[in-house]
Amino acid sequence: MRESAAASPLRSIPGVAVMLALLVGIFGTIAPGFLSLANISNVLLQSTILTLLALPMTLIIMTEGLDLSMGAVVTLTSLMVAIVSLATGSMLLGLAAAIAVGTAFGVLNGWLVAVAGIPPFVATLGTLGMAQGLCLIVSDGQSVVGIPRAVRDIYSATLAGLPVPVVVALIAYAAFHVLLYHTRFGTYIFALGGNREALRYAGLSPARWLMGVYTIGGLMAGIAGLLMTARMNAGHPTAGLGLEFDAIAAVAVGGTSFERGNGWLFGTVLGVIAVGVLRNGLNLLALPSSLQVASVGFLVIVALFLDGLRSRS
Amino acid sequence: MSLAVHETHSQGNPGQEHRDRENDGPGNPRDAAVPLLELRDISKEFPGVKALDNVAFPVWPGEVHMLLGENGAGKSSLMKVLCGAYRADSGEFYYKGERAVIASAADAQRLGIAVIFQEFSLVPHLDIAQNIFLGREPRGLIPGTIDRRRILRDARKVLDSIGFDINPSIKVDRLGVAQQQMVEIAKAISQNARILVMDEPTAALSDRETELLFALIARLKADGVAIIYISHRLAEVFAIGDRITVLRDGRRIGEVRPADATPDQLVRMMVGRNIDLSYPRNFAKQPGKVLLEVRGLAAASGISGIDIVVRQGEIVGLCGLIGSGRSELARAIFGADTITAGDVIFDGQRMTDGPDQAARRGIALIPENRKSEGLALLRSAGDNLVVAALRKLFPTGLFEPPRAFATANDLIQRLRIATPNARQPVGLLSGGNQQKIVIGKWLAAGAKLFIFDEPTRGIDVGAKSEIFALIDRLVADGAAALMISSEQAEICHVCDRAYVMREGRIAGELSRHELTEENIVRLGMHHA
Repeated sequence: MRESAAASPLRSIPGVAVMLALLVGIFGTIAPGFLSLANISNVLLQSTILTLLALPMTLIIMTEGLDLSMGAVVTLTSLMVAIVSLATGSMLLGLAAAIAVGTAFGVLNGWLVAVAGIPPFVATLGTLGMAQGLCLIVSDGQSVVGIPRAVRDIYSATLAGLPVPVVVALIAYAAFHVLLYHTRFGTYIFALGGNREALRYAGLSPARWLMGVYTIGGLMAGIAGLLMTARMNAGHPTAGLGLEFDAIAAVAVGGTSFERGNGWLFGTVLGVIAVGVLRNGLNLLALPSSLQVASVGFLVIVALFLDGLRSRS
Repeated sequence: MSLAVHETHSQGNPGQEHRDRENDGPGNPRDAAVPLLELRDISKEFPGVKALDNVAFPVWPGEVHMLLGENGAGKSSLMKVLCGAYRADSGEFYYKGERAVIASAADAQRLGIAVIFQEFSLVPHLDIAQNIFLGREPRGLIPGTIDRRRILRDARKVLDSIGFDINPSIKVDRLGVAQQQMVEIAKAISQNARILVMDEPTAALSDRETELLFALIARLKADGVAIIYISHRLAEVFAIGDRITVLRDGRRIGEVRPADATPDQLVRMMVGRNIDLSYPRNFAKQPGKVLLEVRGLAAASGISGIDIVVRQGEIVGLCGLIGSGRSELARAIFGADTITAGDVIFDGQRMTDGPDQAARRGIALIPENRKSEGLALLRSAGDNLVVAALRKLFPTGLFEPPRAFATANDLIQRLRIATPNARQPVGLLSGGNQQKIVIGKWLAAGAKLFIFDEPTRGIDVGAKSEIFALIDRLVADGAAALMISSEQAEICHVCDRAYVMREGRIAGELSRHELTEENIVRLGMHHA
């Protein structure tokens, strides 16, 4: 068994915190208006949807898995919110439909990975395609507009002085924190990635718990769908394009390891904010959005590179 | 000398014997004279190998029962049968005199059998308490949650009971090997294990840690726990064993008490495997020039102070227990592992770079895992035969199929590879023919030194003889071979000399006339 490298002062500060501080420092200096209260709250507000996805993605990655379908499933659930609320006039029915569809995809992903034994990359790539196809079918390739005001208001309303999406993200974080660190399920998530045999020896069924992890991912994609529709005030057939990439990036930047079941939930939140700050900063500098995608990729590589350097030192 | 060795008789009719025993009937379950666990005629067969052949022995409460045997004697299989990972093909278990079935891990756990594997079953990023109670967490007030205070308190209690003073909320990945082992033992004890199976528990421990483990074993014994202890270290066997069962070729050879036995006697019981020794070997009158010289070699993989020499025309054996550093030495010579000290001099030139250089200069490594490391199973015999020689055959970089084909066909004939044609995927060939292809691949590349890692593993008897004939011809033509093998009889039969490794070092060298199985085992093991 490999001994972990000796702790050095450098290792005690999480890499993601250093990176976030650097990003804030750089954009605070060169990007006009970056440090204004309005901009900062805008960054946080825009990070909420990604938070809802990156939290379950952390759990999935801890099990040495991956969910590539998340962005497409969010697009689909967002369309469900738009279509169902438009048809029924009820936001709650829209949300219920979104959660049902999202959870169904989560169960499907979980079944494919845990029971059918298909590698997560392939299984969720397949469901990504299915979700994308369904998006085009239900929307006919058109945006769904004219949805009830109640849906849009979710995004701008406040609760106890905080925007509702931020409140939702905070509740989600609290729930995931309890789930991962204080429940049996959370304990088994560590074991799914760290030593699946140990679960089997303990008389537990790894497949069952693994299915649960992917199901939670689908459920969260359903909730994120509501915020997505509210934010756009419409359902767009490409709304969630590339969100899975940002979610995986946030988890990786946040210090969750892709092997041995080592995850850090708060790191993921910092990772989400780092991604948000990077995109916002480049936006303020009026750089084209294509460069934003490239820069998130670059951020991931830098984060993993630094991580590799630190764990070797 | 009166020795209490009870040789098991070969059982002409196991079924008959088995019925006789049932007629004797197990004793009263509450009788103290009943073993905690008794194995009767346990057999387990894998394709081509009888891993366990009618193994029978009792385990008494409060005893340390040592299991001794060479690599491949059946110890691991027995352990897996005991923990329910394998199901025995035939035979019975009696728990406190009553018939018991071990068909799953749950069955074993119910009987109080716990196995401490060398590869621990711990989750690295959970803490000690979570690991001890994995799957049995005390429930908190809210459904699904864990009662954190209770799990820590319970863990503390278990750790105290085995005298392990550590904070149960420390994550397991921060613990050293010895501490992880203690956590494993704590986990077993917390499941009310009455029979602990330990697989070479001191293999990775320092002397001080070993002492602590032995103190713990004494403590468990006093509590009536039975310990089945697998070891390669004879000193340990005498230090803590109450009873010794020796296995060989999946059979129980005998049972002795340490007080009645000597190390030499145990070694004699372990060796002498039944192997067909009709291999051809033409020993050279005198060895040729030095081809490989290793001086003071140490590598990051854990080997150190290695000095060996291999001459042209020689087959040199490399013996030792699994984990003694044999494969690591082979990898270091081949440049596959980082060398931290010393030199590898091949054909008069110092090796300075990785496997690429080694292969180019004429060193071939024929790995143990033929299928995953030696061959591209889906590709044809011809492709596999020329793959290492591409640079030599096609210096321009352009592949010319007719030339590749000719080279492959030539090798197929010379090595008598039984394949319909060069286009046959190697995955469809027998183990012996696959091995010939791996050898042929390096022959085509012009290799002068062949390093074999378990060359006859998974190869049937007839093919073995052909492989050895092939190696014999190679060295007669001026090549040399370094052969790692756990089959000591084979080493003794075909090698000019042998080195025996122990714990990453060369424990000794045996010349042709000193080369006996007993000498190999003696050098490879820890002596009292």
